[in-house]
Amino acid sequence: MRWLRFAVGLIIALTLHSLLDSFFPNALAFFNPYIILIVYYSMGGNVFGAIIAGVIAGLVQDAYSGAIFGLHAFSLTVCAYTVAYINSRLSLRGTLAFGGCLIGAVIVNELVIYILVNILLKQKIQMFEQGMIFKAIFTCLFGMLVYQLLTLFLREEPIEATRRPAGW
Amino acid sequence: MAVPTDVIPRRPTLLFIVVLSMLFALMAASSRTRVVGETRTLFERTVMTLFAPVPKVVNWVGSSAADMYHGYLDMRRSVKENLQLRRKVDQLTTENLRLRQGEGDLRRLRSLLGYSEQFTMPTTMAEAIMLDISGRFKSIIIDRGSAAGIDVDDAVVNANGLIGRVVLTTKDMSKVQLVTDNNSSVGVLIERTRRQGVLRGDGAGGAQLYDIPSLADVRPGDSIITAGIDGIYPKGIPVGVVVKAEKGQDLFKTITVKPLVEFASIEETIVLHTRKVPSEVVRYTP
Repeated sequence: MRWLRFAVGLIIALTLHSLLDSFFPNALAFFNPYIILIVYYSMGGNVFGAIIAGVIAGLVQDAYSGAIFGLHAFSLTVCAYTVAYINSRLSLRGTLAFGGCLIGAVIVNELVIYILVNILLKQKIQMFEQGMIFKAIFTCLFGMLVYQLLTLFLREEPIEATRRPAGW
Repeated sequence: MAVPTDVIPRRPTLLFIVVLSMLFALMAASSRTRVVGETRTLFERTVMTLFAPVPKVVNWVGSSAADMYHGYLDMRRSVKENLQLRRKVDQLTTENLRLRQGEGDLRRLRSLLGYSEQFTMPTTMAEAIMLDISGRFKSIIIDRGSAAGIDVDDAVVNANGLIGRVVLTTKDMSKVQLVTDNNSSVGVLIERTRRQGVLRGDGAGGAQLYDIPSLADVRPGDSIITAGIDGIYPKGIPVGVVVKAEKGQDLFKTITVKPLVEFASIEETIVLHTRKVPSEVVRYTP
């Protein structure tokens, strides 16, 4: 059931991606639907599932974004792991916590991408800080709205993890 | 050595590192293929193929919605444009009718003007405002009267020929007796033979030519013009054509003349202010 919900979420994220690409091509510079999906999934605290979800969602985003294939998979996996690891310890709940996780995830995601692009392509990303701030704000706002709607209308909570302790 | 099935879930950090290493290798491969010109690896193509229906459906829905929206806008624009064009057509049709009427008027007035210039006497243009041609007494009313210098017995013509003579005037209107009236008499001559006679209206839209001897040469189609001998009509105004010439019961022929003027459609007329013969001269007997 968890994976089914993730699959549905991924299709919705890809739909949003396609819609924005078609009608507002610059919108994806300020908003990332995949991060919302990953954070939502990772807040269950299942680190293993979060890693897999991050890889899948990242690969899908890579396939349709024209970046180096694996770049977003890498960054989203890092985000998913981080959020899931923190949640497995702190068990964060609520819209504000979700928003905080989203902001953190966006910053981590952008930093990872920035570093990888520097390493692999020897290129600097233009307007990196501004882009990151805008993306963090808009993604956070939209994500919180989605979270709130899911909580209100579907009585949905972040996908529960099996609460297995993360270990090295 | 076989790995226990629960090792991976219990060691997610290890899995994390392994996955990141694999992804890094994938990225390195991908960035290398970009350099040599292949923008898509096999793995990338596989992922794209797997999820291809989603963007396709989105694109189809988006383009269908856009088509519908634009279709709706086009339809509204077309309806609006159609209304505007209908109004324009109505307006142009009205204008066209007005111009056609104006053109007809202009043509008629031009011919009338050209005709009136032939006369050396003073003339007055007048418009027929009432027609009474259905009864035995045939007349029209014109919109000029004594104020315009029109007098009784002035000849009235139009571009086609003789209409009649003025029999009554008021200040601003005149009554004209048509040549087809039963009481009308006009001194005429046959243009071809110069034979003179008197044309009288038959009261039925035509006229009869009298006082033409049986032996005179008259043929159907002969033109009849005014002779200028009656003291009313100037000489040379076309009156009609002979349609029938038969031997009469006495010494004269029975000749039927069709007037040149279409009395039912008289609009503009020219009143010729002919020089009248004083009545004392007419009545004087030596």
